[in-house]
Amino acid sequence: MNEETTAESVAKGRTYGAFRCLNCFERVSVPTGAKTHKCPHCSFEWRLSWLSPDFPRIRGPVWEANRQLAEENLSKKQKGVN
Amino acid sequence: MAKVLILDYEKCTGCRLCELVCSVKHEGVSNPARSRVKIVKWESEGRYVPMSCQQCESAPCQAVCPVKALSRDETLNRVLVDYDACIGCRMCIAICPFGAMSFDVLAKRIIKCDLCDGVPLCADFCEVGAIQYVDAGQQSTIKQVTAADKLSEIMQKVAQAISAV
Amino acid sequence: MALNRKIAYIELTTGDIETKPIPVKVRNMFLGGRGLDMYLMYNHIKPGVDPLGSDNVAFVSAGVLGGTLASASARTHIGGKSPLTGFVGSANMGGFFAPELRWAGFDHLVIKGKAENPVYLWIQNNEIEIRDAKHIWGKTVHETQEIIREELGDRDIKILTIGPAGENLVRFANVMTGIKDAAGRSGMGALLGSKNLKAIAVRGTMDIKLERPEEALQYNKKVIEQITSAKVSQTQGKLGTPFIWGATNTQGLVRVNNFQLNQLEDADEVEAEAIDKVAVGMAGCFGCQVHCRSKYVIPEGDYAGVYDEGPEYTSQGAWAAEPGCRSLNNILVCNHLVNIYGLDTLETGSLISWVMELYEKGILTDEDTGGLDLRFGNEEAVIEMIHRIAKREGLGDILAEGPLRAAEKIGKDSIKYLVHVKGMSNLHSDERPTPGLALGIATASRGSDHLRSRPAIDLYHLPKQVLRNIYSQPVPYDGPVTSDYRDYEGKAWQVFWQETCYEAVDCLGICKFHTVFLGASLPSFEEWSKLLYYNTGLELSPLDIWTIAERAYNMERLFNIREGLTREDDWLVDRYFDEPTSVGIPGVRGKTIDRDKLKNMIDEYYEHHGWDEQGVPRLETLQRLGIENEPSHIL
Ligand SMILES: [Zn+2]
Repeated sequence: MNEETTAESVAKGRTYGAFRCLNCFERVSVPTGAKTHKCPHCSFEWRLSWLSPDFPRIRGPVWEANRQLAEENLSKKQKGVN
Repeated sequence: MAKVLILDYEKCTGCRLCELVCSVKHEGVSNPARSRVKIVKWESEGRYVPMSCQQCESAPCQAVCPVKALSRDETLNRVLVDYDACIGCRMCIAICPFGAMSFDVLAKRIIKCDLCDGVPLCADFCEVGAIQYVDAGQQSTIKQVTAADKLSEIMQKVAQAISAV
Repeated sequence: MALNRKIAYIELTTGDIETKPIPVKVRNMFLGGRGLDMYLMYNHIKPGVDPLGSDNVAFVSAGVLGGTLASASARTHIGGKSPLTGFVGSANMGGFFAPELRWAGFDHLVIKGKAENPVYLWIQNNEIEIRDAKHIWGKTVHETQEIIREELGDRDIKILTIGPAGENLVRFANVMTGIKDAAGRSGMGALLGSKNLKAIAVRGTMDIKLERPEEALQYNKKVIEQITSAKVSQTQGKLGTPFIWGATNTQGLVRVNNFQLNQLEDADEVEAEAIDKVAVGMAGCFGCQVHCRSKYVIPEGDYAGVYDEGPEYTSQGAWAAEPGCRSLNNILVCNHLVNIYGLDTLETGSLISWVMELYEKGILTDEDTGGLDLRFGNEEAVIEMIHRIAKREGLGDILAEGPLRAAEKIGKDSIKYLVHVKGMSNLHSDERPTPGLALGIATASRGSDHLRSRPAIDLYHLPKQVLRNIYSQPVPYDGPVTSDYRDYEGKAWQVFWQETCYEAVDCLGICKFHTVFLGASLPSFEEWSKLLYYNTGLELSPLDIWTIAERAYNMERLFNIREGLTREDDWLVDRYFDEPTSVGIPGVRGKTIDRDKLKNMIDEYYEHHGWDEQGVPRLETLQRLGIENEPSHIL
């Protein structure tokens, strides 16, 4: 009778005080109220906004920083292939 | 302490779920025309105002009723209708300053908010808190806090503007 | 009971009106809303009719849960043969119209023929009247509603209407209700316009009797908790659909300058948080806790002080990404203009961006544009083009014919730059890095569209187990699932599943934001089974609802095939295969769709449906669904 619904089981995976990096897709914890944050896993940097004190979200990239990282990342990759 | 229903149009999103749950609770049907609470809308301005009985201490409906069908229930702080006494003259509708007395054309009788006998569903279902059921003393406290919050926000902006100059 | 709403047949040429009850047998086959409309479309529209001729039929409906204690059961569906694509026309809007239609006693309107002069319908408690609309012909969407309410003397009347664009038979004109709710896609506004039908006004005060009111209240409370506890609902309730931009543009998944770039760089004013700054609050559709519509007043410029609602995610694309514009004001103004003219924001923006590329490539000259400088980023030119399309002036008149007809008129290489499927322009999403999403737009029944079958949660990199949980209910699935949106494996099933899920909510009349579209923990088949039981008494298992949705989608497929659709129509334009993406995060750069892999996905997608390799439903599939003898003309 008390079998949980699909939705209930999915909801268990929710986390707060963190966002998912939009480059490497790792979960990243972040100090409350931070306006930007650099992903400790991949170094991409994001501008954040806060829906509540424990609910950050990515608003957009830190444009210049991420452009540079992407270029470096791709030139490395190309060298690796050659 | 007795509780009161407070209606806050600034929070209302206009979804009218309150009207729906009210008619289901009281009549077992979905029909906002038979709801005790009503969202009055100015659609082209995006203004939505919840209206319901204020359960007035000195209730004009009670005063005007020729057969004393309306009475005060002190335990729940509400004005109640005695349907056995009511003759359906609709004087209460005419005099209510909030339009909170209405006439159910299907049941052919007046209807008004009865606070769902202490658990008002409209408040229970209003996720944004545009309708809340709180201790009577709290109503003005809530108003004060909201007003003070706005005021301090304005003062901060003014202070910032001045320091920028 | 909740099922006793009727169907009305309205013959505008003669003025005859007939009403019929909807048998429970039909409910069990198609429920209502889009599903039953698809049955009616296949039965009432003769093959090969001119979509703008009097033989086409318009369908307006509420879902079977409309106006009940199922959250956000406010959706109105509009159907007919599409003036844009010539295939299934089908569009869906929120607001308050559908519940009001049900309180007035009706679930489905079947509108035939053509009125001699402009008319509108006035529907009140089981009565339908055809009224003169000469005085509102030419009025905007917002004006029309005010005038009708004033005229009929009731401020609670709900109205659906077309704007000047629909009157002018712009092939992607929409049907609207309220300030911004729009049945946007596939040109349903042109269909109503071709019938000289300006609007439908409705007011109802009749009970919808719920089967088990106490349980319906309790269960609805639980579902509301499920909806409001989801992070996506909280985000959407604050920022509206523009929140999506934070994920898509950030990674490089939107089309910019028509289809030349995949990220609008350095455009912070376009972000949801910037729009939120001018919002004056949020509004909700009937019975909805998500309240995802921003209310705003245009802060500056020629339209300063004007009130409107939205803009949605689609408008960020249509008025920023695609035409390469970067100001918030442009989005607000353009959103307002399409709302008052009654134009599909998405199709309009997409076509304007296309001609901007043609202009920059020299295919269109200053002479063709009437002197307009249509270079990307020119906001004044974009605004001017909206006026010209709605009024069918100059180049606007050509674009008003929709992508394929316009490409034919413009000629040269113009069609090479067009981004469409089945003659319908795409959302501003760039699906080159996301094969699942690409398959969705390639196969969607109404043309390139993100609301037919998009597995949007694919973008969230959800754990495999979560995906398996979702996608193996209510029918078992043990094929591959992957968390990476760049993969091809398993996506055909996801698209099939989402397509069936979205068809189901459209039959029920529930909003897609209340199911597994943007959030993985939102209600689906299990919850709907209970909602149906408590509210209407229909006893349908999750699997039964799935089958109904599958049946309805097969009716759409049959309709399209009867109108000449072949496998070739389930395909993308060459740009998806030949031009790699160039910006965004490293993972989405250099991406194209692989032709062979897409072909294999389509094979698999057909196989999941029980369709043959040409995409035609097999006889055994039709028999399994009980529609092998359609059209059956029961209703
Ligand atoms: Zn990272």
